[in-house]
Amino acid sequence: MQAVGTHRSRVWTARVLFLLPVSVLFFFFFIYPFLFTIYTSFTSWRGIGSMKFNGLANYAKLLGDPTFRKALGNNVVWALSQGFIQVPLACLIAMILVRKPRFWRSLRTIYYLPNVISTVALAMVWVAIYNVEGPLNAILGALFGAEKRNWLGNPDTALFAVIFQTVIYIGYFMIILLASAMNIPRSLYEAAEIDGASTFQQELNITLPMLRGSLITTMTLAMAYGMRHFESTFLMTGGGPAYATTTMGIDLYLKMDALRYSEASTAGVFLILMGTVVITVLRKIFGSSDPMSEMAQ
Amino acid sequence: MLKKSRLLALLLMLCLVFPLVAQGQVESAPAKEIELRWASIWVGNDSKAPAVEALVAEYNAKNAGKIKVVIEPQPDYNAYEQKVRTSLAAGQAPADIFTIKFNPTTATFYQSNLLMDFAKVMDPSWKQTFDAGSLEQSTVDGMLKSLPMETAILPIWYNMDAFKKVGITELPTTLEGMFAAFDKLKAAGITPTSQMTGDTNAWTSMIWFSHFAVSLGGTNVWEKSFTDPAFVEAAKLTKRMITEYSTSDAVGLGAGGSGGHFLAGRTAVFSNGPWYAGRADLAATPFFNSIKIAGLPPAGSTKDFMISRLQANICAASSKDKAREAAIVDFLKFLTSAPSISKLAETSGAMFAIKTDYRPTKPLQKQFYDVAAAAKTTAFDLEAALGSEATLEFAQQLGALALGRISAEEFCALVDRKIER
Amino acid sequence: MKHTYTPAQIIANFLKWILLLSLLAVALLPLLWLLVSSLRTNLELQTNPFGWPEKMQWVNYTKALAMASLPRLLLNSAVVAASSVILNSAVTAMASFILARERFRGRDVLYTLFTAGVLVPVISFMVPYFSLITKSGLYNTLLALVLVYTAVNIPVSIFLVTAFMKSIPRELEEASVIDGCGFFKRFSVIILPLSRSGLVTAATFCFIYSWNEFLMAMLLTSSIESRTIQLGIKFFTSQFITDYASMYAAVIITIIPSIVGYVFLHDKIIGGLTAGGVKG
Repeated sequence: MQAVGTHRSRVWTARVLFLLPVSVLFFFFFIYPFLFTIYTSFTSWRGIGSMKFNGLANYAKLLGDPTFRKALGNNVVWALSQGFIQVPLACLIAMILVRKPRFWRSLRTIYYLPNVISTVALAMVWVAIYNVEGPLNAILGALFGAEKRNWLGNPDTALFAVIFQTVIYIGYFMIILLASAMNIPRSLYEAAEIDGASTFQQELNITLPMLRGSLITTMTLAMAYGMRHFESTFLMTGGGPAYATTTMGIDLYLKMDALRYSEASTAGVFLILMGTVVITVLRKIFGSSDPMSEMAQ
Repeated sequence: MLKKSRLLALLLMLCLVFPLVAQGQVESAPAKEIELRWASIWVGNDSKAPAVEALVAEYNAKNAGKIKVVIEPQPDYNAYEQKVRTSLAAGQAPADIFTIKFNPTTATFYQSNLLMDFAKVMDPSWKQTFDAGSLEQSTVDGMLKSLPMETAILPIWYNMDAFKKVGITELPTTLEGMFAAFDKLKAAGITPTSQMTGDTNAWTSMIWFSHFAVSLGGTNVWEKSFTDPAFVEAAKLTKRMITEYSTSDAVGLGAGGSGGHFLAGRTAVFSNGPWYAGRADLAATPFFNSIKIAGLPPAGSTKDFMISRLQANICAASSKDKAREAAIVDFLKFLTSAPSISKLAETSGAMFAIKTDYRPTKPLQKQFYDVAAAAKTTAFDLEAALGSEATLEFAQQLGALALGRISAEEFCALVDRKIER
Repeated sequence: MKHTYTPAQIIANFLKWILLLSLLAVALLPLLWLLVSSLRTNLELQTNPFGWPEKMQWVNYTKALAMASLPRLLLNSAVVAASSVILNSAVTAMASFILARERFRGRDVLYTLFTAGVLVPVISFMVPYFSLITKSGLYNTLLALVLVYTAVNIPVSIFLVTAFMKSIPRELEEASVIDGCGFFKRFSVIILPLSRSGLVTAATFCFIYSWNEFLMAMLLTSSIESRTIQLGIKFFTSQFITDYASMYAAVIITIIPSIVGYVFLHDKIIGGLTAGGVKG
């Protein structure tokens, strides 16, 4: 029994040691700033000057702010589009590529390429693409006789336009799903082939179930990114026009610009809270992501 | 497997050691030499960069061993403003010397004791070198925590070649005359004006709005509530400019696009400050020598004014160290001396709040000085008068106004909500 | 495998290639546009953003290369990115192992805590980060950037690697314990190699983030010795003017190492893994 005792304490020491580096970094770069943010969200602080405690006043103001409510709505749209359009599309591409069609290696590399380029450069490119006299309108006009639209300048189309731009980043989710898909044993497909299953049936009955865990992981990640989204939209529209494309992240940033640090902190706390809520709700609907229960073997 | 993990550990060690060694500038200078760090935006591509570098070198040479000024380049302006705000909020000055765009939002920096109050260290002779109006504008509650340095006027730019094409050789003097001229331009296939609602300040259109508002409401119009009829009328006029007399991409357009239209000759009327005059791509246009700058025909009863602003004010970190404080003051006296400013003005075309004998020779830059001198009064533009929050709201809602989603009254009410009084 | 094409298969094949090729266009065309634009003049770009160069402006590349201390900035970026990746991968692998393969009370709480970090927009932490870095004397050092980038990527990395580690069959681990493997051997011999694709994926994300990051680098550094290449690119902007043509050339120059690195590493490691396949 003594051997068990020392073994257990050794295991625990190992566990603590293995968790220590992450915990230390996480504490300094997430816990401490978050505590700071929570604290300042209950004060009236303008960057300069003192922090005066003012209770829930900031939160009340935030919830009453129509711009912030619009931003929250936009974030939900972002989360849904990332999780339920972008990721399934990435999954489709991954499933196609894992069967190694011609040039699959090059395609895989090229699809990931935009993620390697700075978001600033890509935002500039797409602003030019969406311009009234730009190539998108030219192509749509030539193919469908569509009228010229000011995609980013019109509040009706702006949100759609900025969300659509993220299709260039599909490679990001694709490689996660591709890595998982490649781990599926070929033997399963060979067996199904022998049984006469079509490609479609194989994908439906083998690939998708095996990818379930990975899909849920990726969708959760995509939704999280959607809830905290800031950069590409800010670069393309600055949150406009008339706050049509503003997200909670952009609203937060603009508040800091105006030196309203306390209100920015409030927005930050709220963003994290809302993100947690949205993701928890969506995960509850679609089941847990514990693939341990998926292992058929 | 073991060998690989050992190799990995070694690489890890190496990679962590290198950054530890590659520190930023470590003070290895002799103990007596005071090093002043200037977080400067006048670097790289900025037209003042070469002159600034030369001046700093000159100063360091004269004060070798005693004072050394080190420039910390800040090439991206938005990130620089971010840095200033963040460091002040975190309780420290961004550098010993730095600049700010002076407006109601940045004026709150004066409440911080991290900034040096020049009112306490300024002697009358130094005070004399500054334009009195600018000094007064930079003083808040008796504190002068930033020195006015770069100023600007924001006139309207007219491409007279385009106007000649439709038979107009003189600038219109009435609003109706201006609309008539614009209609002629439109008929000839030239878009009359560059407008924009994008970026954080709808720059070009913001300037137009400012001209209209001041003409309708007087040079003190900014003190009025934004729902004042002067602003409502100015909003209606600006909306008309965007919807009837500008390019189809004006809504959501940024400063680069707005300027691009003018440079390409697609629009005939533009608006910007003196810094734009020194651009190489502007000088390369076929109509460069036909550019005329002036105000707008009066929309209201106020005339003969020019929109002007403080473009860059210099701040310094306050210091308990008397020697350091004296060093900063000494350098700033040098930087804001007439000879230094003349050198800066000469090579950059920028305008300054310090009186010098310099007069530019290049035609467009000369026009700027002449127009500034001829103006009987000046007034701020919207951004300089109301600060960044109100300006952002202005820009955001201008698109909605232009698209007819909101009325001019609603537009003004929305902006008014964001103005702090 | 015999291919007998039914009409449905032909249509499916056709649609498949439409999809692949459209995505190819969407991914490649911006890059090509950047390349073409980097060979034009600023005036050309202003007047007609989507045209072809009148004359190849190789001078943009010489200007970009002559930019102050380009080699030093590239080196700094490389070191920061590499260090962040190594540190991030190491700490993530260790922590994920515990979170994925060990059972104890509070494990799920810890996991949720760490991965909740994915929801945080880092911009909201600018003031505390600045405070942290300056007060610990790390202002204007590469180490500051390495620590920030490592830490910021912990939530994503843990999220991904834990998921990969969880998918390794229990039987393999149990078999190794029967064979006498202790704690460390389980980690290094069994789990680590099998979660390689997850680690490589997380490492790739961390590398890309560190290479392209601009905001924190601008905030936390002030001199060339500790600045990264993304700040260098901004040298072509100023308060009023952006020299887009030279900036695009600089952007192309900075993309090449990341592309090369990505193609080389990813292809080799992921490609090598799939050759053997997982023993079922």
